[in-house]
Amino acid sequence: MVSSSIVLSDNSLLSKIDQFLCKLEKSLALLSGVAVFILMLLAVYSVGGRNFFDQPLSGYVDWIEQFMPLIAFMGIAYVHREGGHVRMDMLIGSLQGRVLYLAEFFTTLAILILMLLLVIGSWAHFERSFDFASPLWSRDSTMDIALPVWPAKLLVPFAFGTLCLRLIVHLWGFGRAFIVNDGRLVAIPVPVDPAKQAALESEYVTERYDKVG
Amino acid sequence: MEPIDIGLFVSGGMVVLVFLGMRVAFAAGLAGLIGLIWIFWAKKGYGNSEFSWALIVALKTAGQVPHSKISSQALSLIPTFVMIGYLAYYAGLTRALFEAAKRWVAWVPGGLAVSTVFATAGFAAVSGASVATSAVFARIAIPEMLRVGYDKRFAAGVVAAGGTLASLIPPSAILVIYAIIVEQDVGKLLLAGFIPGVFSAIIYGLLIIGMALSIKTFGPPVSGFTWRERLISLPPALPIVFVVITIIFFVYNPFGGDAWGTPTEGGAIGAFVVFLIALFRGMRWTELKGALLETAKLTVMIFTIIWGVLIYVRFLGFADLPGAFAEWITSLAYPPILILVCILLAYALLGMFMDAIGMLLLTLPVVYPAVMALNGGENVSAANSTFGMSGTMCAIWFGILVVKMAEFCLITPPIGLNCFVVAGVRDDLSVQDVFKGVTPFFIADAITIFLLVLFPTIVLWLPGQV
Repeated sequence: MVSSSIVLSDNSLLSKIDQFLCKLEKSLALLSGVAVFILMLLAVYSVGGRNFFDQPLSGYVDWIEQFMPLIAFMGIAYVHREGGHVRMDMLIGSLQGRVLYLAEFFTTLAILILMLLLVIGSWAHFERSFDFASPLWSRDSTMDIALPVWPAKLLVPFAFGTLCLRLIVHLWGFGRAFIVNDGRLVAIPVPVDPAKQAALESEYVTERYDKVG
Repeated sequence: MEPIDIGLFVSGGMVVLVFLGMRVAFAAGLAGLIGLIWIFWAKKGYGNSEFSWALIVALKTAGQVPHSKISSQALSLIPTFVMIGYLAYYAGLTRALFEAAKRWVAWVPGGLAVSTVFATAGFAAVSGASVATSAVFARIAIPEMLRVGYDKRFAAGVVAAGGTLASLIPPSAILVIYAIIVEQDVGKLLLAGFIPGVFSAIIYGLLIIGMALSIKTFGPPVSGFTWRERLISLPPALPIVFVVITIIFFVYNPFGGDAWGTPTEGGAIGAFVVFLIALFRGMRWTELKGALLETAKLTVMIFTIIWGVLIYVRFLGFADLPGAFAEWITSLAYPPILILVCILLAYALLGMFMDAIGMLLLTLPVVYPAVMALNGGENVSAANSTFGMSGTMCAIWFGILVVKMAEFCLITPPIGLNCFVVAGVRDDLSVQDVFKGVTPFFIADAITIFLLVLFPTIVLWLPGQV
């Protein structure tokens, strides 16, 4: 699937920051994808071990619990950069120019406030598990093989923090677009209509289809 | 102010934010957090010094939701299902499926269109991607249909409609999401989707055959394939069947005895097989990296809505809005089945403007308890229920109905994305052409939904065996 937005770039400082952040965000998203792949291998190993060698993977469920935050949160900023989080385009898609940038600015600001608060909330959740004085610095652990839970909990405020950085870049982008209003949209997801989205989807599928037939 | 009033205000605010274009996940999360702060502060009588207390408690309550709710084994099914879809592109399954369907089915009236429906249903099921399936088959199937004389609008309609069959036949990520939100058994829901999914494809097929028999200029059957040609077309298409069957067997063993494992393990085995085939077909690190990145993007998008909505759900629990809505629904002086149909129609309307996953996650926390209450409650027995089924079975039945409604919206104007994508692939077709071409399939879908409402056994027989 392709995103319902595109992101343009140029030589400005804003665009350079966007590109730099994008590399970091993309690496984190790839880490998330690799974690899905490892999750698949763990399940295959677990099923194979249980059925063919009578030796299931010890702590299989514990490992899943550790991997899930990696899968679920690491790519959050990259998806937002690409405009990939779901929304209703009906009204915003009909806006143009300064009205559009202003609407985007305020919804982005609202998301930033939410995410900053959730960084604090999820950090508090992590802190309840973390203790330098305890074995493995951990106050709680998983059920079967006693893996410390705090590293998985720490991933949440970290990932939300990367999203906050992205949201600040978006605020800068929408603010610049509103003030300058020169039609040059940089480092912000530009919504596309269904026809354009369909064309992008076709292009995406065509690229892949041509490789395998 | 009473908690229920706070619930109404905050939910109304969330709807406004969603209409204004705020991303659904964050609109729900923000509404949930504001609602929690408000409700805690109200409990303390809105004292100035109590606000910081309410803020801290709300932050701690909301802050634990993302990690604690996402770190579950049941949810790990979603990324593996998504990965199957992206790996399936590289496994060369599309052409193989279409060839097999053509050689086995194309002899019937309207045969090439019927073959297209079954091939798209198979690939859509495994890939889980309705829009992408339509894009791929627009390139494979439409030229062949045009070559034997099909109307180009109808040919485009077949492909656009066929893609919608992604959401019911296992593996279906959207059914997993539904199961998680309404706290029902994932395995039973996956099983429940199988027969209605196949049933939808059969209804499409019968519609095409009916049209072929009654319209003289309809595309002719394609025959002349030998049994040898038919048999050699099967092995390349078998991985699709393998994936579907594996997932079913990991939930329910039809030969008796225990299921082979958990749905998560079934999904992972399916993904592994598709991965091996893709590797055999020439997929290397560059392609795998692309597939993993796409998997991560879609997975993160889904999980973000899930935890966002779950923060909102946490607030709803304090506000008791679902309970009040359920009470209101059950107090209406209309037949329950009519109310259910109205709810389904509301989903059809909403689905015309909103992505299926966002739509379901945003509405289910309030709508689902109301539907349960209509039937007589979560724990009602079949004998004492309104719709003649237990609470668990009603949850499964309603899940299949709303998912069917959501996929129906992929071919409805104004933004039926499948139609746009088919028009995007074919330069000789306008979006209006494709919308005209899918019109018969609206009727087929309406018939399917009518039959699923009238005969819940179609949905409930298979999960009833577990």
